[in-house]
Amino acid sequence: MTTQAIDERRAAKRRADRHRYRDTKLAYLLLAPVVILLGIFVAWPAVYAAFLSFQDWSFYKDPQFVGGKNYVDVLTDPLFVATIGRGFLFVLMTVPPMLVLAFLFASLVVSVSRRFATVLKVSIYIPTIISSVIASIVFVLIYTYDGGILNAVLAVFHIDPVAWIGDPAWALLSVAVPAVWLGMGITSLIMVAAMVDIPTEYYEAAAMEGAGWWQKTFYITMPQMKNVFLYLLITGFVAAIQQFELPLVMTQGGPLDSTTLPNLFIFNHFRNDVNVGYSIAAALLLFVVLGSVSALVFKFINSERLVD
Amino acid sequence: MSATSPTTALETTRIVLAGKDHRRFTAPHGVTGWAILVGKAFVGLLFLVAALFPLAWMVIAGFKAKTEVLSTPFQFFPEVWHWDNYTKILGDATFLRTLGWTFLGAILFTVLSLTVNSLAAYAFARLQFRFQRTLWVAVITTMFIPGMTILLTSFIVVTKLAMLDTLAVLVIPGAASAASVFFIRQFYLNIPASLEEAAMLDGCGRFGIFVRIFLPLSKPPFVVMGITAFLAYWNSYVWPIMTITSPEKFVLQQYLAEFRTGRGSSELGLLMAGSVLAAAPVVILFLIFQRQIIGNIKMAGLK
Repeated sequence: MTTQAIDERRAAKRRADRHRYRDTKLAYLLLAPVVILLGIFVAWPAVYAAFLSFQDWSFYKDPQFVGGKNYVDVLTDPLFVATIGRGFLFVLMTVPPMLVLAFLFASLVVSVSRRFATVLKVSIYIPTIISSVIASIVFVLIYTYDGGILNAVLAVFHIDPVAWIGDPAWALLSVAVPAVWLGMGITSLIMVAAMVDIPTEYYEAAAMEGAGWWQKTFYITMPQMKNVFLYLLITGFVAAIQQFELPLVMTQGGPLDSTTLPNLFIFNHFRNDVNVGYSIAAALLLFVVLGSVSALVFKFINSERLVD
Repeated sequence: MSATSPTTALETTRIVLAGKDHRRFTAPHGVTGWAILVGKAFVGLLFLVAALFPLAWMVIAGFKAKTEVLSTPFQFFPEVWHWDNYTKILGDATFLRTLGWTFLGAILFTVLSLTVNSLAAYAFARLQFRFQRTLWVAVITTMFIPGMTILLTSFIVVTKLAMLDTLAVLVIPGAASAASVFFIRQFYLNIPASLEEAAMLDGCGRFGIFVRIFLPLSKPPFVVMGITAFLAYWNSYVWPIMTITSPEKFVLQQYLAEFRTGRGSSELGLLMAGSVLAAAPVVILFLIFQRQIIGNIKMAGLK
């Protein structure tokens, strides 16, 4: 091959590239703000976290490499291990009830008149826009032992008052209730959207065969919504295990650590412990758990889709 | 997780802007038909009460005298409806300043967020450039970094940038959002190319097309993402308590949490009135745009 031919080919490629990448300058200009902001406030902190997790470091001294010591410390800290267990318990208290209630809600919404459906959808979504701080303030007052409305209602049924957030046996559940209240809106509306998308013909065919509501729900609605359930299960799991604003405001993690969820533990550690590496190692470990669970389930969804 | 999986995962859970909204409602017939209807109405009411009761109680408690909010025997409605909690908190200079300050920050945050994210969305949706796919994956990957990990190191970063205790620390770090870029881009992808071709014949450049064609059509995604940003700012609590230390720069949620443990711990009616006024702006905002917000929650490709 002559050099001339090579040059020509190169020139042709350059021309093609120039056409293919014709907007590069403008594109980089438009992308710059987002890329710079995400770089400084998301990507760099993430890399920095990975680095600091191997260091013994505080605001007062230079970082010192300690290898996996922080990770070992975190994993052998019975307090941290306990918070993970508590996190899973909290997930169990919030996600399954939310999914069941949202499914019931969606079944109701698709079968009532348009106007009532709108009222229901708007109402269920309103708590979503309330801040955790306000939800905490309201629920703590509802739970008050003496004079709170919950115990007053229970008294009508001759049930003895409960200290709710003051009693380690009830505190986590008492934090779970406002968490469900805040999270129901989006879960329910995603459920409604998915249910509305199921072709009506399926139900018409089933009705002709004489199928009742239960049969339609079990044999049509549920299988059709399998992936939505899975999606909501994961996003619900990820959100619940990361929850810490509610216990932070409602109980500060007490009584007796009974509401110290993983992230609250990390947050409190970060604010009180001089070794930042420890808190960051804990946060990263939690991320590894979260990331692998989500990746597994997403993989599962995708493989299911291939089979279908 | 492979480099491409975040994109596939997201495309699986893609939020689509258009969708049908049919229903299977038939008028009741016969006794069972009516019984079912009554049953549905009852269950529906239960949901309504569960969703709205805590808020209704909050509004009503705002009208109560100091000692009435938590009284034994319990009383749902106040003996006398007191307006003075609301007038008192609205006359409180600190509360009003905090409200205004938070509002200003929320507006700045929303505008900044929509500006930077829509520019990026347009570039990803319509422009041809080098490393397009790499950059797209990089931007989307940031969505998968959990908040707590970077909360701690972001705090270190803003400390080093000397941003602590300024409005900038609340407005700037969270403005760029991969989710928002993704959402707006999804909308831009659905804008027909024929519109641009006409503009291009008129001598419009790529940026001109964005300003003259895309921006005027952007209302639907801007409403949804704008409200999302506004709400995120308005309701934020953890980041402000980490970065804002001067009481005169407190944001609303921070102020409420402080108020609750301070003066509000004895003046519960006042605390409730303050909470109502803090929640009211976003609830009103939601009610105005509820059709767009609810209409945009559509899941596709997940069946």
